[in-house]
Amino acid sequence: MPCSKLYPLGPIATLALMVFMGLVLLSPSEVLAKDTLTLAVKGEPAEGYDPTLGWGRYGSPLFQSTLLKRDESLNIVKDLATRYELSGDALVWTVTIRDDAKFSDGTPLTAEDVAYTFNTAAQAGGKVDLMSLDKAEAKGMTTILFKLKKGDSTFVNRFISLGIVPKASHGPEYARKPIGSGPYRMVEWNEGQQMIAEVNPHYYGEKPFFKRLVFLFTDEDTSFAAAKAGQVDVVVVPQALAVQTIPGMKLHPVKSVDNRGLMFPILPDTGKTTDKGAPIGNDVTSDIAIRKAINTVIDRKSLVEGVLEGFGSPAYGVCDGLPWDNPANRISDADPETARKILADAGWKDTDGDGIVEKDGLKAEFTIIYPADRSIRQYLALACADMIKNIGIHAQVEGRRSWDEIHQLMHSNVIVFGWGSHDPIEIYRLYKGSLAGTGSNNAGFYSNPKVDEYLDKAISAKSYDESLEYWRKAQWDGKTGFNAHGDAPWAWLVNLDHTYFISTHLDVGVSQVEPHGHGWPITANIQKWKWID
Amino acid sequence: MNTTTSFCLNKSGKFALTLTMVAILAFTLVSLSPIDPVTAYLGMDRIQVSTAQEQLIIERWGLDKSAPERFFHWAGNALSGDLGQSMIFNEPVTKVIGKRFITSLWLMASAWIISGVLGFVLGVLAGTNRGSLIDRCVRLYAYTLASTPSFWLGLVLLSIFSVSLGLTPICCATPPGISPADATFWQKLYHLILPAATLSVLGVAQIALHTREKMIDAMNSDYALFAFAQGETRTGVAWRHALRNVALPAVTLQFASLGELFGGSVLAEQVFSYPGLGKATVEAGIRGDVPLLLGITLFSAIFVFSGNLIADLLYGVFDPRIRIGSEEAR
Repeated sequence: MPCSKLYPLGPIATLALMVFMGLVLLSPSEVLAKDTLTLAVKGEPAEGYDPTLGWGRYGSPLFQSTLLKRDESLNIVKDLATRYELSGDALVWTVTIRDDAKFSDGTPLTAEDVAYTFNTAAQAGGKVDLMSLDKAEAKGMTTILFKLKKGDSTFVNRFISLGIVPKASHGPEYARKPIGSGPYRMVEWNEGQQMIAEVNPHYYGEKPFFKRLVFLFTDEDTSFAAAKAGQVDVVVVPQALAVQTIPGMKLHPVKSVDNRGLMFPILPDTGKTTDKGAPIGNDVTSDIAIRKAINTVIDRKSLVEGVLEGFGSPAYGVCDGLPWDNPANRISDADPETARKILADAGWKDTDGDGIVEKDGLKAEFTIIYPADRSIRQYLALACADMIKNIGIHAQVEGRRSWDEIHQLMHSNVIVFGWGSHDPIEIYRLYKGSLAGTGSNNAGFYSNPKVDEYLDKAISAKSYDESLEYWRKAQWDGKTGFNAHGDAPWAWLVNLDHTYFISTHLDVGVSQVEPHGHGWPITANIQKWKWID
Repeated sequence: MNTTTSFCLNKSGKFALTLTMVAILAFTLVSLSPIDPVTAYLGMDRIQVSTAQEQLIIERWGLDKSAPERFFHWAGNALSGDLGQSMIFNEPVTKVIGKRFITSLWLMASAWIISGVLGFVLGVLAGTNRGSLIDRCVRLYAYTLASTPSFWLGLVLLSIFSVSLGLTPICCATPPGISPADATFWQKLYHLILPAATLSVLGVAQIALHTREKMIDAMNSDYALFAFAQGETRTGVAWRHALRNVALPAVTLQFASLGELFGGSVLAEQVFSYPGLGKATVEAGIRGDVPLLLGITLFSAIFVFSGNLIADLLYGVFDPRIRIGSEEAR
């Protein structure tokens, strides 16, 4: 038959072959010039790239530049600013900026723009908290005065995190068409999909190696699949996937202060509630012996190995590895003997032989609550419950689906929380007695007058460097503090390593200790990244 | 009053009523949802924001007002065409919906056409040759896929064709690094294949099974018997006599399935990271963006309502009996 001559494979097979060839021809060329870098590191800001609403708090603001920034070892270095100093009464910052900075549209960046950015952000009602700023005033072309309502040594962090926007072209449209003085400028943003950036020709700093950046905003699974298919050069992966291998890529784990810990309610249960009706207090965890024993018995190293696949480090405080961390926070843990002794000395004994210790008829029992959709917190809670069972403390582990539910329970139950910030204000909010029960602050109602005194001194310190000492003393001053030697209101468990796969050809330099938030922070030094053949 | 005006009045009355009910119901459900939008917005920054700043955010979004007050405020603006500002996208709701819908439109339109045409053809083939091998194959296919969740099928297709075989793209509506404006028609089509295939599979099964039933009825009808008696072949009867009769239910079903198509696209877009309206819906729901969620709900109600309206109008076109009947009634 003539038919079989035309289609030697049979018509159906021929059709299939044609479709297949069509697909092959359609597929995009995988080889991109090496001045283009493709990243899948999450971090898409749904509301756009407007620093006055909070863009650029972590990692590189990319399109904008900041007055100051943190280098690889988190020291504060100058960026736009050439000089910055605080007045004697710690109420006025005077900042001088460089005079050669230009926005990506070619217009010069002046003191007016800086003052406008800060004043606008203070009013915007976004993620930038400038409550302590009274107002920013431009003096001439390059000098700005920042008047504070009250002394606030953490205000310097706003110089680090707030990108400067141009007064002339900032408006409702800005978030989608950002113009700034950063190393890159936006080419296009297809929301929910990708963002393309190219080098800003007017950038005052060293020209970045990569001329073009493509950020894919895909979810975790898709990004991982795209990496396996060779379509991206940098991909963020959850710790559980970091044990896999991707051809052409190497694992790049980054230390972080993205920590997880158990928060204990400190007050006894006297039937009091918050104004929202949430019960306050827990009779078991209000006993310092319970909290100290738990801190002592927990084997943090095996949590790192078991839960994080080794991608993490034991956490002994809320700010491990940051400039204001107190080395005295380290304790010797995984020690059931000492833990049992602490309990016994405080009068906790197992009298009825059920394996759980009691004191005055009260069993050492409580509930550990975690947000149900966070698997790492769930595993940590279960592992901890197992470890403390050893010393006769019984913990029931429960997952809750909504944060609002957790907010109702967090003053009377043990909660697995995760924090970690490059701004020490976090410490203030977590441990300050007068903030107890407001928002998410100090949910355990911890209060220690000495700690409060150090925290206040740290906030009102005359300089950032001076404040560091007080932050450390609040943790432990040799006698008291909020670490595990002191009142132990928390049992910090682990710091996560943030895991990325990067192309074997890519040199990303030294990555910062990253804050809470796994993904975009790796871009902090993106203008220094290089391609090596 | 003539039939056309009364038809229009009737329809627009129902339309207004539906939209009002949908708006009230959606707003009530969203207000009862346990999601706190401020917590969802701040996420991991919760602790770095003071209570004073939190209050500022609450005021910016108008969350300090009571629920009924917010609803009437919203409804008043909505009547004048202003659906408000999306909280998470910081952009007018109408703009967000417009942008996202254009992306989704490609996906939904292709899935809708594929499932309609393919489903109808398969149904006719199976119904004409009842009990044959082709009928059994179509039935097996339809029953299996009708009971397959579309997101699961999407994952399976993704892992076979994109990850293992590397034939199709893994995500998105255009290749990485190329903007939609620069993407060629072929590139867009190439990125559309898997999501559209996933989305159309469910529709195919429905249309095919319904058409098959109607086709069997038609082939066993008196007029078909009469045609057979005159020496007409099975194909001839199916083509010349039965086809027009089975087209009507198929068209109805196809237009009525717009709602399902909308729901299906939410899942398919999630699986394929296809940045359309479906993905925006999920975001709005998870993060408690009330204005956007209400806007999308209203939009989808309009969408589904239009589908049904078109089906109503097409009855007259396809079936002269309905057209003549309504003319006689006048």
